[in-house]
Amino acid sequence: MGKVKQQKERTFLQDLLNFQGSLNGKSKFLDEVRLKGAEEVRNIPFPTKKLEDWKFISLRDLYKDSYELASDLDVDVPDISEHYLPESKGARLTFINGSFSAEHSSTEDIPEEVLIGNIAKLAEEDNDLLKEHLNKYVENNFEEDVFSSFNKAFLKDGVFVYVPEGLTVDVPLHLLFVQTDADTNYFTTSRSVVVADKESEVTVVEDHIGLGDNKYFNLPVVEVNAEEESYVKHTKIQRDSREAIHIARTAAFVHHHANYESYTITRGAKLSRNEPRISQRDEEVEFTVDGLVLIDGDQVSDTHSVMDHRFSHCESHQLHKCVITGKAHSVFNGKIFVRKDAQKIDSFQENRNLLLSRKGLVNTKPQLEIFADDVVCTHGATVGQLEQDELFYLMSRGLNEQQAREMLIYAFALETIENITVDSVQDLLVDEVHRFTENQLDSELTV
Amino acid sequence: MSETEALESMVGGEYKYGFTTDVEYEDFPKGINEDIIREISRRKDEPEWVLEFRLEAFEKWKQMEEPDWPNVEYEKPDFENIQYYSSTKKKDGKKAESLDDVDPQILETYEKLGIPLQEQKQLQGIAVDAVFDSESIFTTFKEKLAEAGVIFCSISEAIQDHPEIVKEYLGSVVPKGDNFYAALNSAVFSDGSFVYVPEDTVCPMELSTYFRINNMQSGQFERTLIICEDNSHVSYLEGCTAPQYQENQLHAAVVELVALEDAEIKYSTIQNWYSGDEKGQGGIFNFVTKRGHCRGDNSKISWTQVETGSAITWKYPSVIMQGDNSVGEFYSVAVTNQRQQADTGTKMIHVGKNTKSTIISKGISAGESNNSYRGLVKISPRADGAQNYSVCDSMLIGQTCGAHTFPYIESANPTAKVEHEASTSRVGEEQIFYLQQRGMDEDDAISLIVNGFAKEVLQELPMEFAVEADKLLGIKLEGSVG
Amino acid sequence: MLEIKDLHVCVEEDPSEKILKGVNLTINEGEIHAIMGPNGSGKSTLSKVVAGHEAYEVTQGDILYNGESILDLEADERAHLGIFLAFQYPVEVPGVTNKNLLRQAYNTIAEEQGREELDPLQFEDHAREQLKLVDMKEEFLERSVNAGFSGGEKKRNEIFQMAVLQPKLSFLDETDSGLDIDALKIVANGINELSGEDNAVVLVTHYQRILDYVQPDHVHVMIDGKIAKSGDKDLAIKLEEQGYDWLTDTVSVNGEQQ
Repeated sequence: MGKVKQQKERTFLQDLLNFQGSLNGKSKFLDEVRLKGAEEVRNIPFPTKKLEDWKFISLRDLYKDSYELASDLDVDVPDISEHYLPESKGARLTFINGSFSAEHSSTEDIPEEVLIGNIAKLAEEDNDLLKEHLNKYVENNFEEDVFSSFNKAFLKDGVFVYVPEGLTVDVPLHLLFVQTDADTNYFTTSRSVVVADKESEVTVVEDHIGLGDNKYFNLPVVEVNAEEESYVKHTKIQRDSREAIHIARTAAFVHHHANYESYTITRGAKLSRNEPRISQRDEEVEFTVDGLVLIDGDQVSDTHSVMDHRFSHCESHQLHKCVITGKAHSVFNGKIFVRKDAQKIDSFQENRNLLLSRKGLVNTKPQLEIFADDVVCTHGATVGQLEQDELFYLMSRGLNEQQAREMLIYAFALETIENITVDSVQDLLVDEVHRFTENQLDSELTV
Repeated sequence: MSETEALESMVGGEYKYGFTTDVEYEDFPKGINEDIIREISRRKDEPEWVLEFRLEAFEKWKQMEEPDWPNVEYEKPDFENIQYYSSTKKKDGKKAESLDDVDPQILETYEKLGIPLQEQKQLQGIAVDAVFDSESIFTTFKEKLAEAGVIFCSISEAIQDHPEIVKEYLGSVVPKGDNFYAALNSAVFSDGSFVYVPEDTVCPMELSTYFRINNMQSGQFERTLIICEDNSHVSYLEGCTAPQYQENQLHAAVVELVALEDAEIKYSTIQNWYSGDEKGQGGIFNFVTKRGHCRGDNSKISWTQVETGSAITWKYPSVIMQGDNSVGEFYSVAVTNQRQQADTGTKMIHVGKNTKSTIISKGISAGESNNSYRGLVKISPRADGAQNYSVCDSMLIGQTCGAHTFPYIESANPTAKVEHEASTSRVGEEQIFYLQQRGMDEDDAISLIVNGFAKEVLQELPMEFAVEADKLLGIKLEGSVG
Repeated sequence: MLEIKDLHVCVEEDPSEKILKGVNLTINEGEIHAIMGPNGSGKSTLSKVVAGHEAYEVTQGDILYNGESILDLEADERAHLGIFLAFQYPVEVPGVTNKNLLRQAYNTIAEEQGREELDPLQFEDHAREQLKLVDMKEEFLERSVNAGFSGGEKKRNEIFQMAVLQPKLSFLDETDSGLDIDALKIVANGINELSGEDNAVVLVTHYQRILDYVQPDHVHVMIDGKIAKSGDKDLAIKLEEQGYDWLTDTVSVNGEQQ
């Protein structure tokens, strides 16, 4: 039995490569990319719990089942307009089960100097900018990573955004990835590449939504390049189906005087793994990698982040908050690297966990690796429940226990989302926090 | 010279304990196999059950692989090239009953180390067990302790004289096959200290073991066992030094502590093994398993360590808090300099209700060294009301060293509270200038800053040793300001 | 006591950044001097250079203390001579108590100057006496040097340290800035109490405010790395009324003569 299981694990991704064939023939460039990706998948072993980076979660839920390629399925797409962001009415690219849907997309409000399009089309046009940037960042930040290679092996579509020098894009770009309900398990990959040239500014909302309760494997890869003096704000909202497996990679380059802000909100999926890896490319940069995880039931959410300080003068911040109830399990491993000679680094990291149930579990491992001496790096981690004093205080002011608890959970979560600049996204998240807290009165826990 | 350069040139204070004692050793072959283990057991005249313990451990060890997860780099020891038992030749082949029987060279060695064993010179209020290579040479104040009912002797003697106690507790905290080096130790352990404090007893004096590795060929595999019965209390300290050799030597110890109801054990370490030269030649590999078990309710185990020596240090003194309301503490200062590497920290395992643990770790890296804190705080599902508070601070001196922090936190109980914070900072040039402006030279300024940084830990040491530790930190980082 | 002669100073790391461009200044025993000037004029640098900060390099000129050059001396050696700098931004030294620092400092300086060292009890008495001067409680001695102190406490601590160490020549680098009026009076009172026949104090300041409480014998205005004008207390009042602009003009007109 054990042997069979191991076998399955080892060849799981390789077996899925059989679906690759149907994608070929449209763009020589992408054909080659996929070929390379497939080669890598064959050579990199599937991660096991023996690896330090994978020791806290099991991927069994992923590899125990078989999947079909999402784009091979016939789907009926219901009305999804309720998921459109009002600010991005004319700045939205929608992908349904990994394929671009022109019908659900609109770019009319985006300044025409911006190059934005689906990767499949740009690849057919043999676009030079696409060829220059695609894979550059993920390949650098993720070495020997079977999942980003797998994404490469199925790279057929996605978003490419190039904001030219000096331009500020006022409208937030809404990248909407919709996964439909289906009777069969499927897997889907997507790729988003955002390049902000010198002195430009752009806001991107990466939005993953599952329409049903079905099982699927979603593997998005995002690449960001913030050139000199640019400003990139990236919000990721993950509301995949409660049976889905979501394994994501984000690779960002931040250049001289640039600022990259990333906020990741995890609410969906049975098993999710986020890996933002930020690489400082020059002196004097600033970046933020915040996260909010709200999980209940049997959800497992794992965030492994890397903040790689390679040059002097950098300010980086990370506030990662998790609220855990039911049998949910949250994992955080935040690595802060300060390379030799990267002086004057001011890096701050905090992971705070609100563990609200008896069956819940928290693993956290903030991690500092410092090779330069003139730095100020701090990190902190806390795990606890709501402060009894605070609860008591609110109740003494007349709130009942549920109200008091909701208010405190809400306040806890809010800190990570209040910096998001897109109003409708903030509203949406506030609602999400509310819905989450409403359901979370664990009878075991009383004042 | 800029302050940074001055700082860098300060590294490498001289090692005062690097001398060798010229004594005659009994012959013992190198290498490890079942015969060797039988021979160790035979020479120590051990009962059958100890031999079985050793052989079972050896079987387990053979199945194991040397772990590679610590953040240290070294050439793996050649286990066939180590002498696992090293005993000096004795007059009649027996352990010294009185000091007259101890080789005067060894006595002189201990005197040079500041631990005189002769009666008129003995340290007041401190009982000393002197372990030289693989054997306990002499234990002072034994009679006085016996009056209080406290047993303090070498583990070899304890196996002979108190087999029922040793049998009950040996391997009960660190099982034979716990990890690679613990298994190796269980197979070949030589000597070490044994402490037994009976019920309702406060041990009347500080107990201390002084470990000395002298033989170039041998490793040291000591085994220490401390048991505190209900409502008793003991404070124990170990000190370690070794001569300067070109070759690395292996030190793989196991320490087990058991605290029963309302008992308290305070265990302090001042580790100053030879750390190798500036090129990283020589020095001790210090791979140690230390674990305490708060078995009874309201018990307490406290580890304090000042780690300045060894080429590589790899140890995690831990506490399993099983009894309700039990307390675990870990206070550590680890200084690395030149090419030293340290991967040290603690595990705090909360099992009982309302258990509390505190971790204060201060790492200081200088030269080209690497200093890692690695810790685990684990709250099990039934540890209601458990609390942990951890602080891990690192200080860097110079630009070629590294400081790393790997804290693992796992909580499975919503009523528990875990707080961890860590920071990394440097000895700032402005700080040094400020102190210099107040009249201190650079050496004193750095020493003052470092001692201030480590203060929370140093003040946990028993008074008798605090001064020594203070000086040690100074020596470690002071030296040749050019 | 102190003679600064044609002092030129640049930043060690960047020699093109010249901060002092020919400062001349003489300070005698029993005097109180005030050095004023706009931001970036070099007045803070001057006090750090006198104290021996290594970030600056003297490219020309000399600093004589009691007739001998001190340029080759380390900061601690200058402190041993009795030179004291109250820092503009006092540095935090966590874990090191005020008492420990000051006793070690006091005894080191005493030893160098051939004075009697104080044992812990004697020192405690001496320190407590000085605490009254800055209106600080005794707990102050046991707190870590400047760690967690408010801005005002740090400044008072500098004056306290000066009182304990009894220097001969003190540079107070903007010790008055960031203080409320009560704290300012305490600091000023401390300075007045400590200045006497055989020592000298140099106030480096931005504002005329503190000069309402401390009477300087000489006032100097520093602009662009030079002493642009020297005078008595009236000069400070004129600066208060008219700002520095009239002097900047003077400098640009009479540049070389200054």
